[in-house]
Amino acid sequence: MQNNREGQLKIYQLFSPVLYGICLKYMKNEDDAKDVFQEAFVIVFQKISQYKFEGSFEGWMKRIFINKLIETLNKKKKESFFLDVFDPDTDFIEEEELETIPIEKEKLLEYIRDLPDQYRTVFNLYVFEHMKHKEIAELLKISEGTSKSNLNRAKGILQKRILSIKNFKTA
Amino acid sequence: MKKQKIEDIFSSMEDFSSVPPPELWAGIEEKLDKPKKKKRAILWWSAAACLLLCLSLPMALSDSGNKIGTGNAVEKNKVVLDENKNNETHKNVTSKGNQDSETTKNGIVNPDSENISNPVHHSDANSVEETAVATVDSKKGNSSKTVVSKSNSANNPNQAVAEGTTVNGNKNQFSVSGNKKTTQAVAVKNYDSGKQNSFNSSDKNQFNTSENQKSNQAVASKNYDSGKQNAFNSSDKNQFNTSGNQKPNQTIASKNYDSGKQNAFNSSNKNQFATSGKKNLNAGKKNSNEALALKNYSAQKQNAFNSANKNQFSENEKRNLDKVVAEKTFTGKSTNSFNNASKNQLPNSIFESNVNSNKNNVAFNSTKTSESNKQNAVSENKNETITKDQKSEKAIADNAQKSNSKFNDVLSKKDSVQLAELQNLEKGIVTPEAKKQKKKDPKTTNAEKWALEVFAGVANSENYKNDKTLGNVNDSKQSNSFGVKTKYKLNKKWAVGSGFKINELGQSVANVSYISTKNNAFLGTSDYLVQNATVPQIATNEGYVLVSNTTRNALASNNIQTGNIDQSLKYIEMPLEVSYAVFSKNKASISLNTGGFVGKLISNNIALDGNSIGQNENANDFVYGSTLSSTIQYRVYKKTNVFVEPAMNYYINPLSTQSFNQFQLGLNFGLNVSF
Repeated sequence: MQNNREGQLKIYQLFSPVLYGICLKYMKNEDDAKDVFQEAFVIVFQKISQYKFEGSFEGWMKRIFINKLIETLNKKKKESFFLDVFDPDTDFIEEEELETIPIEKEKLLEYIRDLPDQYRTVFNLYVFEHMKHKEIAELLKISEGTSKSNLNRAKGILQKRILSIKNFKTA
Repeated sequence: MKKQKIEDIFSSMEDFSSVPPPELWAGIEEKLDKPKKKKRAILWWSAAACLLLCLSLPMALSDSGNKIGTGNAVEKNKVVLDENKNNETHKNVTSKGNQDSETTKNGIVNPDSENISNPVHHSDANSVEETAVATVDSKKGNSSKTVVSKSNSANNPNQAVAEGTTVNGNKNQFSVSGNKKTTQAVAVKNYDSGKQNSFNSSDKNQFNTSENQKSNQAVASKNYDSGKQNAFNSSDKNQFNTSGNQKPNQTIASKNYDSGKQNAFNSSNKNQFATSGKKNLNAGKKNSNEALALKNYSAQKQNAFNSANKNQFSENEKRNLDKVVAEKTFTGKSTNSFNNASKNQLPNSIFESNVNSNKNNVAFNSTKTSESNKQNAVSENKNETITKDQKSEKAIADNAQKSNSKFNDVLSKKDSVQLAELQNLEKGIVTPEAKKQKKKDPKTTNAEKWALEVFAGVANSENYKNDKTLGNVNDSKQSNSFGVKTKYKLNKKWAVGSGFKINELGQSVANVSYISTKNNAFLGTSDYLVQNATVPQIATNEGYVLVSNTTRNALASNNIQTGNIDQSLKYIEMPLEVSYAVFSKNKASISLNTGGFVGKLISNNIALDGNSIGQNENANDFVYGSTLSSTIQYRVYKKTNVFVEPAMNYYINPLSTQSFNQFQLGLNFGLNVSF
């Protein structure tokens, strides 16, 4: 498979939409998403012989993509990435239950991508990859507190955005 | 109204997917085709070579430097010394030691030792017009033509042509002939990164607009051709003809990607779009708006002969046509595909997605028009006119369809099987074949079975038995060693290895008594030997007689001096080792190695106070021994490891009769590359 272009093309055709979707969710701009997408796919094809048929193939590829995305984000913003620590007094946001408003996926994607890098990464890992704060902390080499803080702040920002839509629609 | 949390709102995004732009695959392909960077590995290897060279040079120099007294005399000299173990006291000179003594000959010591420019033609009349032409041509030796011609334009025609051309033989022709208010914007980009042997590759874009009134046309065409080797007659052609009477607004976006690589013959992508209306026949021709988006994607690899993608859109109706045609033609071929033709002809508004694959390709949304199998002819590079008689073509098509339909059936079966396999793979369900593969995995998937090591280090020969020479204790002696070794992994834990190693075993003996015959003209070595018949012979030198402490007392001579003797035996050794990995985590690993070795003597030297006094006669040509070592290894780059290896060697029989240091402690440093 490593050098079989036909096989590679098949895999690409089958999985590229989902994986490209992940890249779009993690990266702020589309060009960066494209770059990471290409690089990660190259890694997938180079390391495909290491896939040991343990777990799903898609899951294996997703892990490669997420690792690559995090690596890229870390490189991009090394200094200020994940520096804030959870402060229960200020970071605890009362999660408000929002009225159901139909929002297009593109709009939701836009909201996610508008989040600061660190919040977006934690939010993606927690909400979409269903990782626990401990796992996120290990992966991102941050404390659990920081992970919680980032998630809460991300939720707060998204909450405001959605409320603003609601207000706009009701007004 | 129902309420939900933020996470619930965004849960729909969990399976969010988006089709990536097609050029991304071309980028991935390009990256995959790039040769792997071996620069770093080369750096490491060169560093290792330098290390070896640095270590081996001084050793080689010291060897030659120690040989003092070059010439015939040295070889014939003999040194006699007495072997005395455990500090025994000899009262009589003619006691036990006599057995080995031998009278030998005496000698006298001699111890010293091109770009073609782009023509742009303008033929303009009767009008004020603005024309901007930008042409870039970066290739040498190929004619590149850009022709922009305008004629008969009456009222305010504005034309802008921007072109970036980096291809062999590109031809772009844009002609506009309209009477009133013709506005045309044409942007054409042609990329060709062909590298070797591209013959007759040409990209042609022809846009003809002949209208009477308000013809607004925007054409954006992009051609990418990343063919690399031996591309013959590959051509991308785009022809857009618009001849409408009133306000036809046409937007055509065409993208052609051709990443053919090797030996692509006569591959061609053709796009023909024609919109023609005749004033006399159709009275109500107004507001014909047409948008065509066409993408041709062809990823060919090897030996693609005569493959062609053709798209023909002809529009003969002119009544309020709002048409959107989006077509994708995706062709993925890899080897030896002959006479491949995918054609799409759309006489009307159709949304079509057509994926044509030859071998083992999954056909996604494969829908073909009935007219797609028209021609089986080899190498078709024709520009078909739009107003052809369809009937005659259909007759040909009927025959061709029959032969192609069988082929397509077989393909679809193959494809469905492979699709199923892929889906199984994706779900983690291992098919029987995969199971077999899985069973083999433990043995075969370890790609890095072999490892090659280069190493160099220091070794210290030790005396743990309190052996003595000439009544003096053998001291340790430091030396260098270096070599190469290869290892073969039997499984995760065990490995065997062998290689070659240059190693030196040595010893120093301090305060050895000797008599220098060169300072005593009346006394030869034979005199001592006669008197001291019990003294066993060890090495050769004509000018020095080495005596044991006991003999020295017996002789009580004023001529007796003391000095330090250094003995060294250099071997080329071939070890055979077994390794067991005791620890392996992340990049670090520790293994224990044990085994034996056989060595061939390549250098034998005895030096007295730094001056060579010949060779040790008792040295065995072949030596055997055992080794025990521990390798602490750390992966520094991909498959390259650095390691430190403390080792202990035991030599069974370095000398036949004389005592010698048999233990050696060493510390090796080296590089290990696994493959």
